Amino acid sequence: MANELLPRYDVELSTLLAHGESLVGSGPDWLRALRQKGIDTHREFGVPTPKNEEWKYTPLRPLTTLDLKSSEPGPAVFGIDLQWNEGADKVLVVNGRLDRNQLEVTKSDGLTIKSLRDAINENGDLVKKHLGLIAKQESHTFAALNTAIFEDGVFLHLAKGATIERPIEIVHVTNGDGQCVAPRVLIVAEEGAIAKIVETYLTDGEGTNLVLPVTEVYAATGTNVEHVRVQDESESTYSAALWAIKQEGGSEYRSYNVAFGGAIARTDQEFWLGGEHIVTRLDGVVVASGKQHIDNHTRLDHAKPNCNSFEVYKQIVDDEGTVVFNGKIFVYKDAQKTDAVQNNAALLLSPKATIDSKPQLEIFADDVKCTHGATVGRLEDTPLFYLRSRGISKEQAEGILVYAFAAEVLELITMDSVRDRLEARLFEKLSV
Amino acid sequence: MLEIKNLQAGVEGKPILKGIDLSVKKGEVHAVMGPNGSGKSTLANVIAGREDYEVTGGSITLDSKDLLEMEPEERAQSGVFMAFQYPVEIPGVSNTYFLRAALNAKRKANGEEEIDAMSFLSHIREKVKMLGLSDDMLSRSVNEGFSGGEKKRNEIFQMAVLEPTLCVLDETDSGLDIDALKTVADGVNALRSPDRAFVVVTHYQRLLNYIIPDFVHILMDGKIVKSGGKELALELEEKGYGWLEQEFAGKN
Repeated sequence: MANELLPRYDVELSTLLAHGESLVGSGPDWLRALRQKGIDTHREFGVPTPKNEEWKYTPLRPLTTLDLKSSEPGPAVFGIDLQWNEGADKVLVVNGRLDRNQLEVTKSDGLTIKSLRDAINENGDLVKKHLGLIAKQESHTFAALNTAIFEDGVFLHLAKGATIERPIEIVHVTNGDGQCVAPRVLIVAEEGAIAKIVETYLTDGEGTNLVLPVTEVYAATGTNVEHVRVQDESESTYSAALWAIKQEGGSEYRSYNVAFGGAIARTDQEFWLGGEHIVTRLDGVVVASGKQHIDNHTRLDHAKPNCNSFEVYKQIVDDEGTVVFNGKIFVYKDAQKTDAVQNNAALLLSPKATIDSKPQLEIFADDVKCTHGATVGRLEDTPLFYLRSRGISKEQAEGILVYAFAAEVLELITMDSVRDRLEARLFEKLSV
Repeated sequence: MLEIKNLQAGVEGKPILKGIDLSVKKGEVHAVMGPNGSGKSTLANVIAGREDYEVTGGSITLDSKDLLEMEPEERAQSGVFMAFQYPVEIPGVSNTYFLRAALNAKRKANGEEEIDAMSFLSHIREKVKMLGLSDDMLSRSVNEGFSGGEKKRNEIFQMAVLEPTLCVLDETDSGLDIDALKTVADGVNALRSPDRAFVVVTHYQRLLNYIIPDFVHILMDGKIVKSGGKELALELEEKGYGWLEQEFAGKN
């Protein structure tokens, strides 16, 4: 099936695909078909080279030198702080497997959180309706690989009208070395449900691993969901994630992509706006330092009229770090009265810091409001002088201004404990 | 207290201040007036330590300390405060956080302990009340979305909180309507004290109806061409700068 036209490295993650083949041997038919499709797609696309337009700025060559095996179950106790927030529901996922013994969920009407493996057995029809259908794996080689090899994951279901006030927190930990971990999350919010969700990706230990998370979110009519995703993995972790969202009419979904970690960390976030009067936020805060390469691609499909989307990315690049931003917005012919705002700003703190920024708007409707802006800058002298003229040292003034740059997005997070934790982490990361 | 001697400064090799002499004692209010481009704002910014300007000669001392040797933050810690002509918006940083950082930096530099949260709050509340401001100014980001008048009032508020010994007002009246001007002037007057000096830089005389100066200096082409009492400002208002330009031209 290999397509000679697709620029790819001459490697095959064969151990992983063999593992996928073994998984195809079990489970319900629909899942077996889904996994087979994942294997085929990954075989076709492989590990793309920079000649593949979608991967032009993402240097994947280091992946070709890793001798990767499929993931093993990890330990229950860790040497790192899992950063749980007080008062949140706690869901721990280790090497892609939900730890049932450490699941702490306050019993609430309409809320189901369980292992994805269990859900496939117990809630098969529901899972089948969404799994692998929101994340369009045909165009995502690593999401396809995830589908082929995921062991387990999280199934989060909000029944019609369910309202969960406290944050639901999912912490993914990768532990071990030389593994390919495929965390999988399926979030289904039925009509009118309200929830706030935090997903955090962490690393325990010094190992070099490839993490390929896929998170799928279905937001039905009238839902209101806030979703924060924090990438704070070690600097020896390679990560390629797909975060896909399907929104129905009258839903509001606010997402915050916070990316601090990884050696190479690529996140694709895709939104399908499939109804009218949808509100979508897709904001990001990115901090790359050392030799980190952090890469975010967003894609919004405005398919129906009268929807609003707001996208603000704040990117801080220090040392020899590289940040890539690619923001696609498609406004379909039918999507009149679309109001889409995209804004990405980068702050370069060192002469060797790099940003590649590519806004990409394709508009096929004639009565729409779409604006986009991209700015790249260094800390400005005037605000710096203003702070110093009040007695604040140059160093502290710089810290305050960098922090303020990112705070504009972090401030929008309504989960106080999450926001406070992220602000503290931001300070910590910037002062290293 | 403030001694400026033969101060020369410019920007990108272009001279702006061409030998300024100014002596300000504790408790005094000095107005520096002049037409556009005369160097008024440059003088204010050079005192505060703005790095865009290059000092090419002369000296500035504050209580015998050499200001020109100091970083802007060290000047502030030694008691200098400049109210900006264009106060800077800093989204994402609350006024309260900003002021506490500034106050603590100053206290630390002067060997004092950092102020605790409770004492700080009562300190700023007292100033808010004294200046008749509204409390919501405290929680808002520094100058973000403030009207022109609010920005200038915020400068005076910062001045009140930081309690400097030398206050430099850089065209604080620009862009203000008469009501806002009065509010700002009332704030300044409330801060006048025998231990504090003011240098008020302005183009127009009208601010000086409300902040009555002890001395008025006229700056033209980088030099002080005339000094006098408050009546000099009135004379200037009546005759305009043209009168002095002619006189000044005649001298050269």
